[in-house]
Amino acid sequence: MTDKYLVEPDIGFLNEVVGLGGDTLKKCYQCATCSVACPISPDNKPFPRKEMIAASWGLKDRLVGNADVWLCHNCGDCTTLCPRDAKPGDVMAAIRSYAITEYARPKGMAQAVNKINKLPMLLGFPVALIIILGAITGLVNWSPTGEIVHAKFISTWLEDILIIPASIFAVVVFALGLKRFIADIHQNALDAGKTDKEKIDAAEFLKALVRVIPRILKHSKFSQCGENEERATSHMMVFFGFIGLFIVTGIFFVVLYIFGIHGPYSQLNPVKWLANIAGVSLVIGSALMIKNRLAKTDQVSTYKDWQLIGLALALGLTGMLTEMTRLGGAAGLSYTLYFIHLVFVFALFVYLPFSKLAHLVYRTVAMAYAEYSGRKF
Amino acid sequence: MTEDKQAPASGSILVVGGGISGLTTALEAAEVGYEVFLVEKNPYLGGRVAQLKQYFPKLCPPTCGLEINFRRIKDNPRIKVFTLAEVEKVSGVPGDYTAEIKLNPRYINENCTCCGECAQACKMEVANDFNFGMDRIKGAYLPHEMSFPARYVLSPQIIGTEDAQRAKDACKYDAVDLDMSAKTLKLDVGAVVWATGWQPYDANRIDNLGYGRHPNIITNMMMERMAAPNGPTKGAIQRPSDDKAPESVAFVQCAGSRDENHLPYCSYICCMASLKQATYVREQYPDARIYIFYIDIRTPGQRYEKFYQDIKADENIFLIKGKVAEVEEDPDTKNITVVAENAVTGEKIRQTVDMAVLATGMQPAAATTQLPADLTFNADGFIVNDFEKGGMFGAGCANKPADVMSSNQNATGMAMKAIQTLVRR
Repeated sequence: MTDKYLVEPDIGFLNEVVGLGGDTLKKCYQCATCSVACPISPDNKPFPRKEMIAASWGLKDRLVGNADVWLCHNCGDCTTLCPRDAKPGDVMAAIRSYAITEYARPKGMAQAVNKINKLPMLLGFPVALIIILGAITGLVNWSPTGEIVHAKFISTWLEDILIIPASIFAVVVFALGLKRFIADIHQNALDAGKTDKEKIDAAEFLKALVRVIPRILKHSKFSQCGENEERATSHMMVFFGFIGLFIVTGIFFVVLYIFGIHGPYSQLNPVKWLANIAGVSLVIGSALMIKNRLAKTDQVSTYKDWQLIGLALALGLTGMLTEMTRLGGAAGLSYTLYFIHLVFVFALFVYLPFSKLAHLVYRTVAMAYAEYSGRKF
Repeated sequence: MTEDKQAPASGSILVVGGGISGLTTALEAAEVGYEVFLVEKNPYLGGRVAQLKQYFPKLCPPTCGLEINFRRIKDNPRIKVFTLAEVEKVSGVPGDYTAEIKLNPRYINENCTCCGECAQACKMEVANDFNFGMDRIKGAYLPHEMSFPARYVLSPQIIGTEDAQRAKDACKYDAVDLDMSAKTLKLDVGAVVWATGWQPYDANRIDNLGYGRHPNIITNMMMERMAAPNGPTKGAIQRPSDDKAPESVAFVQCAGSRDENHLPYCSYICCMASLKQATYVREQYPDARIYIFYIDIRTPGQRYEKFYQDIKADENIFLIKGKVAEVEEDPDTKNITVVAENAVTGEKIRQTVDMAVLATGMQPAAATTQLPADLTFNADGFIVNDFEKGGMFGAGCANKPADVMSSNQNATGMAMKAIQTLVRR
């Protein structure tokens, strides 16, 4: 810690954090109960007490590039014990939300994803794109006949013309964001005395990442959170639902382009089993999340929280219903649902680096950094 | 004051509560000529102060102050004291109240010489509430050495048992009267001062601080009794689990105070109380280390601040800014580990100590027992004084959390307010 520190409050940042669900931060009187209550906070420079004072002083540079805000899994143990009825867990969530927007480029897009009134535009964009590209390329057949095969309606070519660039876009946006993010969290750790590593060794960092991934898969940190354990279950369902569907999509892609075999697969095919299980898991998991959030009135739920859960549920539901209506022979309905499903898939990829789902990347990197820097948490 | 109100129907004042505030109000009013009824629910006067080892900041024993007050009461024919008495109802208007008082039986009359034969005759023991249950006493007992009135009392728990008869048979002065029964008394008074005091906040409710689960976690009031020469250990500060002399003690400040989950307000006295209790430990065990965990040390005023500075200078006393939020007990040694974040260094501290003292705060009596009168309370149960309406007033800790000095000042002021109600000029 430096001897002299000139506090330069960023009022804009402060107000945004308040608006993103951190409205209780001014109640904090720094008793540090939260740092002790937190089951996953480390002994050296624990969170979230220091984040609470930095936030109330508007010290953006100490928070946005602070890996600790990502180590928090928002279980709410701190909020329950807080003697001032402040909600450190929600303040941490608000800072994370701010950080996602901060590291994402283009800025305008990040801001649009944060606003509910921009939602029709964001969803209208893929709709228009499919229609326009379909008209130009002729890869959309608006009146498919015979046995229901969704590729007859929207060609897999068009699908991939949309989704592949969308994924590349997401990767690029993340890469640019992470470059700044990693530099910032390292600088923050050096300033705060959280690490003794001078520079980041890329190979060691990757090794740390590899060590962290099994913990993430097992949700071992998440399930240490005491106050709302059931969240770990629903999160795991959604998490593995997405992973399962990602694997299925990958197999589809490979089989289609290498072996030239088209879907839909038979219900007896193990890939289809995986797809069905993952889809159901996604639907149930996200429905549970909605239920938990509605029941937990002491926790702040912002638009970005609902946006992500809503998207997960919409993806799962439209996907499963598309399949069910196909099997049921309801052609018109099935094609319509498929169209909607495709719009949500596109939205998932393109808006990923700007939405709350970006925590997937930032939290993973922050946990890997904590592991690399020897932060015992 | 307004002229249209009637002249007082009665010139007397009812003071509810015989602690330091009630004593002060009663004496101040009586010594300027007013008739006072002092009603106390315990069998003795002196309240919480009687339970202390020492006052802060001068570290003198409570005999200093209480004895003088008892002497003044004895000498003053205008004060009528009722112990074991509870106010059941107060009705009327300022200047004209009727109070119904229930007098519980003491089973011992004024013949008592405090010889103690009755206690020796008793076989059964009951928990000693005066010492917060840390020891047991006979069913016939003197509440404490300085009890006023100086008279034994029979616990209602032994009435109807053989012990009661044994006590009666043992008494040479015919002081035991087992036929006593509760009586109701009606008093006409012009003003009522409620000095109903406080109770320590129930530490069992502070789940994360382990009181009730771990024997070596005690409360600050238990520490007072333990350190007091007339306490359960005759003044020896020792661990409840094995009576060992503690080599280290942690004080946990704001245990239930300044906490929206418990008492949202600052209890005012706990910082000074813990600093004072640190001196008890230091005096008895010169090598003991003391850790005081706090949010803010609140020692208002020049004298308290000086007391704090003196404690701070002691190299065996460590003050750590950070609230204890977790405790653990070693099942073998019964040592206590308190966990806090030092907010100055940003390091989590796990301090293992022989015993921990929870600085529990004060809760007004009215927070748990409703006072049978038309009074205004705040959300925490403290009486809000309505001086426009007048007639009834809250004094001392019934009105706000306060130390002895402020309680006495406040109680003196309320004596004046009560007199104004009677005089109405």
